[in-house]
Amino acid sequence: MSYEVMVGNKAAATAVKLAKVQVASAFPITPQTTITQYLSEMYAAGEWDFDFVNVEGELTSQVVVQAASKVGARTFTCTSGPGLLYMHHPMQVTGSSRLPVVMAVVHRGYKGMQPDHSDLMSQQWTGWGHQYVEHAQEILDSLLMAYKVAEDARVRIPIAVGYDGYVLSYTAEPVEIPDQGGVDKWLPPYKPMPSVLPDEVDPTTFSRGWGGGDPQMPWKIHHEAVLKIEDVLKETMDSFEKTFGRRYGNGMIEPYKMEDAECAIIAMGTIAGTCKAAVDKMQKEGKKVGLIKLRSYIPFPVKDFQEWAKKLDGFAVVDRSICPGKGGPVFGKLRGSLYDLEEKPVTLQFHAGLGGKEVRVHDFEMIGDKILKAAKGGTVEQVTWI
Amino acid sequence: MIEIRLHGRGGQGAVTASRIIATAAYEEGKYSQAIPMYGTERRGAPLTAFVRIDDVRVRERELVHNPEISIVLDPLIAKQQAVVDSLKPGGLVLLNTAYPPEEVKIGGDFKVATVDATTIALETLGRPITNTAILGAFAKITGLLKVESLEKAIKKFFPGRLGDMNIAAVKRSYDEVKGPIQAVVKDAPPEKVDIHVGGYGVLKDVSSWRVYTPEIDVEKCIGCKNCWIFCPETAIQWDEEKNKPWIRYDACKGCGVCANECPVNAIEMVRVEV
Amino acid sequence: MSERITRAQIPISELTITPGSACQGCGAALAARLSFKALGPNVIRHGIPCCPDSVTQTPRVGTVFEGGGAQLTGTARALKAIGREDVLAVGFYGDGGTYDIGFQGLSAAAERNENIIVITKDNEAYMNTGNQRSGATPKYARTSTNPIGPRSRGKPRPKKNIPFIFAAHYVPYVGTASVGFPEDLIAKVTYMKTIKGFRMLIVQSPCPVGWRFDPAKTIEIARSSVQSGIWPLYEILDGKTFKLNYKPKELKPVTEYLSPQARFRHMTEDEIADIQETATANWENLLKADEMGRLTL
Repeated sequence: MSYEVMVGNKAAATAVKLAKVQVASAFPITPQTTITQYLSEMYAAGEWDFDFVNVEGELTSQVVVQAASKVGARTFTCTSGPGLLYMHHPMQVTGSSRLPVVMAVVHRGYKGMQPDHSDLMSQQWTGWGHQYVEHAQEILDSLLMAYKVAEDARVRIPIAVGYDGYVLSYTAEPVEIPDQGGVDKWLPPYKPMPSVLPDEVDPTTFSRGWGGGDPQMPWKIHHEAVLKIEDVLKETMDSFEKTFGRRYGNGMIEPYKMEDAECAIIAMGTIAGTCKAAVDKMQKEGKKVGLIKLRSYIPFPVKDFQEWAKKLDGFAVVDRSICPGKGGPVFGKLRGSLYDLEEKPVTLQFHAGLGGKEVRVHDFEMIGDKILKAAKGGTVEQVTWI
Repeated sequence: MIEIRLHGRGGQGAVTASRIIATAAYEEGKYSQAIPMYGTERRGAPLTAFVRIDDVRVRERELVHNPEISIVLDPLIAKQQAVVDSLKPGGLVLLNTAYPPEEVKIGGDFKVATVDATTIALETLGRPITNTAILGAFAKITGLLKVESLEKAIKKFFPGRLGDMNIAAVKRSYDEVKGPIQAVVKDAPPEKVDIHVGGYGVLKDVSSWRVYTPEIDVEKCIGCKNCWIFCPETAIQWDEEKNKPWIRYDACKGCGVCANECPVNAIEMVRVEV
Repeated sequence: MSERITRAQIPISELTITPGSACQGCGAALAARLSFKALGPNVIRHGIPCCPDSVTQTPRVGTVFEGGGAQLTGTARALKAIGREDVLAVGFYGDGGTYDIGFQGLSAAAERNENIIVITKDNEAYMNTGNQRSGATPKYARTSTNPIGPRSRGKPRPKKNIPFIFAAHYVPYVGTASVGFPEDLIAKVTYMKTIKGFRMLIVQSPCPVGWRFDPAKTIEIARSSVQSGIWPLYEILDGKTFKLNYKPKELKPVTEYLSPQARFRHMTEDEIADIQETATANWENLLKADEMGRLTL
């Protein structure tokens, strides 16, 4: 094992190298850009046997890796904000074809270049697993785990790992790099199942789809496959910790200082890190509030939140994206998850970090104070814009 | 936790300096984070970067708002009062300037140290890239990092001979730094140069971008209009009556195209006085 | 065909508002300044993601990276619908928006012969994001996605011949220009204003940061590119009428163009000879076409 002080984008490129990806393709877009540069440097240096296709647009990069994955290569692509939206159409095909493509999404908002989560949030219907990570080490580790989960025979679903642009993509911090030998043992080479090669093709898979039958069935199968990510991700987190000595909660959520907490703040991505600093401070002051970092938005950790709801008095949900006219997606999904419980904790909605607006430690202290007050029966507004 | 802010301009290596500090800190068993100010970098444009150093993993992701230390890589920016904006009281500022700390004009409640990093960089690297030429001074006056850790970190960023040259710059700046002393000036007015220039669109005043300034000798000018037609920023204006150019200095970024295209060498690029 | 003008005929008035946010010595900023001098104010300027060049005193609309051809089409059709065809629909795009991600929409607009003007400030890579290769990057150029290493000698393939590709849509006008030849550039934009239909001008715009040279040399490099036959200046009307606008008696060696740029510094003698051979052969073909005054596409 070695370490390097590296930016988030280098951590992503390092994961691609450790996973021995065979075909990668990407189109540069701020703030994902430097991933394409690191991959080009690795390609030029001949660091391992892979091909990197520099293409003319994101539509192409998604279709390149989709086709390469069908043939049987381990693949990677990456993009940001508008690039992800341009990929929307082929992403749906990658999802429906059950191809274990792994993609890094370096968050960039719709309005401007600064990060929020609207880019990946808008891809919910494409049938991918969606994960959100907090720091550079977690980028590297999560991408490695994404291959393990996506390629698992029970899952076979593409996974997008999202991290905030600039705040993480261009910030340098220490990252531990696992040994190649250890990764090779833990993540065996990709075995396509099945491939489209003429001598291997199973006519019941790729060539099927529009030939009649129940048109709803592919959606049901797809839905159930995505749900299976939950169990496989939890297993994978255990084996990852055993092999590499690090873990992020159970993979779906990562509770932070929740032992004595009465209320939880729910946040995703880099702002969860800022929230940790706020939780440290608040608990020193005797405030019983912790953080539940949401790592997997799709599938959503319904069971985990139901369990926590039984122990807690309040959830403060911080959404870094918004569906205009509908509201924060995490808040809506969380409330839906708690509907069947007899006793429900108080839930508050916070909109924060949209358009890349900075979210500071003192913002989370305010959020903590509000949820503690609401949980004790105090009156606070249901929705707050930070 | 220690929080540091770096000021420089595109091409001087402020972001690399922030990463070298973060790497050196990790070499010493500390955790660190190096953040560039988010936005677009343009060559010559002023920019800011930040570093956090702590004994535990740095969790927060906000920018540094109240640094203990301000490091200024550029001699023109080092004259601006803005480099000590929101510095913690009793903080420290390290300036790249040939003047001793006693003669520094920026003021307030902080300590000030100076080092002539541009000269060190020119003499050790042959180019005015001042990032490593200020780090030795930083190590000495703060005591936060050992020079050996900086050397290790520099070797990761600059392999081979380039690394040795940069390490030589670090050592010289360690030896030549002056101060720190309590700032002599207590209260100083802000200077006019905007050190937060950047982004898209029309900018107000780009004088701070210049390292060299064009000066026209109208006596030599033959009125060919080369300087005028080739100026990307319309900083060279044409006086039709006199058939001579004049310069809008607020729009001049100091690229030097005008001087290069003048067939009679009537334009000279003069080093900005610092 | 454009008609030669002199420096004295170039209008003194400017349409750009400066200082802009371009880098020192930016060729694209100059391309904008010169083009808009000739276009005048009666223009709707269309943008897509690209380097910031110069802000102009014209209304400006923008859309997605891949939408350049389509947005000009929409504007032109609406100008016709409301009876305002006096207003020019002008796209001022980068090479990514012309050669690569924007190509499909522009090609379709050319095939439909939309009444639009496209001016491409070609700086030969995605410079706004830090010099990643594009379809406009020349062979052997080092970019941040074509580093030099055991498996890479810079960009492995030549620059797309985009003027000829668009000329092969048989559109009214395709021209090349350079910021090193402002009179020629302005004459061409002026001519484009006098005709209708799909008109395109590709302006080679050196980038000191990406091509890695001293910003003072922007014009020197633009000029040597034309003088060495790397970037010839010509016009093609309706995909057949052809004219070379700048014909030196003898071409300068390509090394005059390549040497000052660090993006070519790694090149071997064989690689330089390859570029020289291509430039010379291409120049001879263009000379023949110029003599006949026509192309066969």
